[in-house]
Amino acid sequence: MSTTDYDTIDFFQPGPLYQNPYPYYEYLREHGPVWREPHHGVLMVTGYAECVEVYRDSVTYSNCALMAGPFAQWPVPLEGDDISEIIEQYRDRLPLSDQLVTFDPPKHTAHRALLARLITPKRLKENEDFLWQLADRQIDTFLDRGECEFLRDYATPFTLLAVADLLGVPQEYHEEFLQKLQSKQTDHSADNRGKVEHKPLEYLYQRFTSFIEDRRRQPRADVLTSLAAATFSDGTLPEVHDVMVLASGLFAAGHETTVRLLGVMFQFLGERPELQQLLRHERDRIPNFIEECLRLGTPIQADFRLARVATTLGGVAVPPGTSVMVIPAAANRDPRQFDNPNELRVDRTNARQHVAFGSGIHGCAGAPLARTEARISAERLLDRMADIRISEKAHGPAGARRYKYPQTYIVRGVERLHLEFSPQQPSRAKAAT
Amino acid sequence: MRVVVDLELCGGHGVCEREAPEIFRVVDSPDGYAHAEVLLEQPPEELRTRAKMAERQCPNQAIRIED
Repeated sequence: MSTTDYDTIDFFQPGPLYQNPYPYYEYLREHGPVWREPHHGVLMVTGYAECVEVYRDSVTYSNCALMAGPFAQWPVPLEGDDISEIIEQYRDRLPLSDQLVTFDPPKHTAHRALLARLITPKRLKENEDFLWQLADRQIDTFLDRGECEFLRDYATPFTLLAVADLLGVPQEYHEEFLQKLQSKQTDHSADNRGKVEHKPLEYLYQRFTSFIEDRRRQPRADVLTSLAAATFSDGTLPEVHDVMVLASGLFAAGHETTVRLLGVMFQFLGERPELQQLLRHERDRIPNFIEECLRLGTPIQADFRLARVATTLGGVAVPPGTSVMVIPAAANRDPRQFDNPNELRVDRTNARQHVAFGSGIHGCAGAPLARTEARISAERLLDRMADIRISEKAHGPAGARRYKYPQTYIVRGVERLHLEFSPQQPSRAKAAT
Repeated sequence: MRVVVDLELCGGHGVCEREAPEIFRVVDSPDGYAHAEVLLEQPPEELRTRAKMAERQCPNQAIRIED
């Protein structure tokens, strides 16, 4: 595509750019690490250092319009030297205003602390045995066919049950969770703009409200009870609503994103047989391979911040009320930070420095869980599926693949991934370590 | 100044390593859960700003800079 086309295309309208936005990010980067795009006046941040700077500064930049960005419906114009009062007055009307991701300090600090002991290495280790079993059970459902639609048959149910287990949802509810939450994911469509569909969230809200109320009445020795009993740092007990919203948010945040990550991983493995072989024989390379998949695939491509006061970023003036689009997908390919940024290198020494999980106070709380799910999935799938190939019937031949991506600038990942493979002799339990 | 990392809270994000690489490094552990290692438990005064920034920016608030 010629540069002229990028000048006229509005990135925020549904269109072909979403099938591969990376050339568009390079077009942005040519104008500088921070650049005001001409259609909506959004400051587009593609530079690594500049993205980190925004993440660092939760005083200047508010998360209130995280999803809606420039399309947020403010009842008054965002005018003045400091728009904080306007933000505080109207932020509750914006999408996801009851979710941690849109909070700012001090409220953010207090609520984030409730999560503190929930996704710790200790808890994750308890969760890990279940994850190995879950991976195997899920693989059992399709292995004999020698082919699968990877997202539907493995990634979606696996990630959903993984987070359900972490949150302590009792086993007897797992089937219901699967049914209610599998079909419709959060709708980030470009033509919805500020309006985000959340039917699965309603179901979660109902369920978690009743779980938490129950555990507060009758504590048990389970995770849901710890969640229900968690206090703010001053010792006060949160409202049931606050805890319920947190648990539901974790669920929603941790599900689709990890599905996308698994998709990226197996897209790479299906496309690169030599990489597959390398990882089969050198399992200790898997963690860094996962980091490279996060860097290059970045499931949450971008989100928005709102400048409360005037500042500068990357030498560009940022007036109060400016929507700033932080683009980790682009930052993750900044040549100032990553040599040969478009290449997947399992031996890249600074692969973990990617910002696919964000950074700073809003840095993804579920990152350790996502990494664990990815690692365990890679291990078992490589154990039990040999010669994993991309289905030519579904996706065309190598070099001329057809993959479909959703119409959104927020989330990235193939919608379907058809794989073929040779089932290996199913070896059951992972060797105890 | 003393640097303390609560390993029960640390999620291995690596923000600290980026803010103050002289003080923090993310390392893998045998069980697969990467975490922050403190390279300088008592860093020199000139690293105070960086140490405090790491404390503030840790997504899991796992770092304490004690005086």
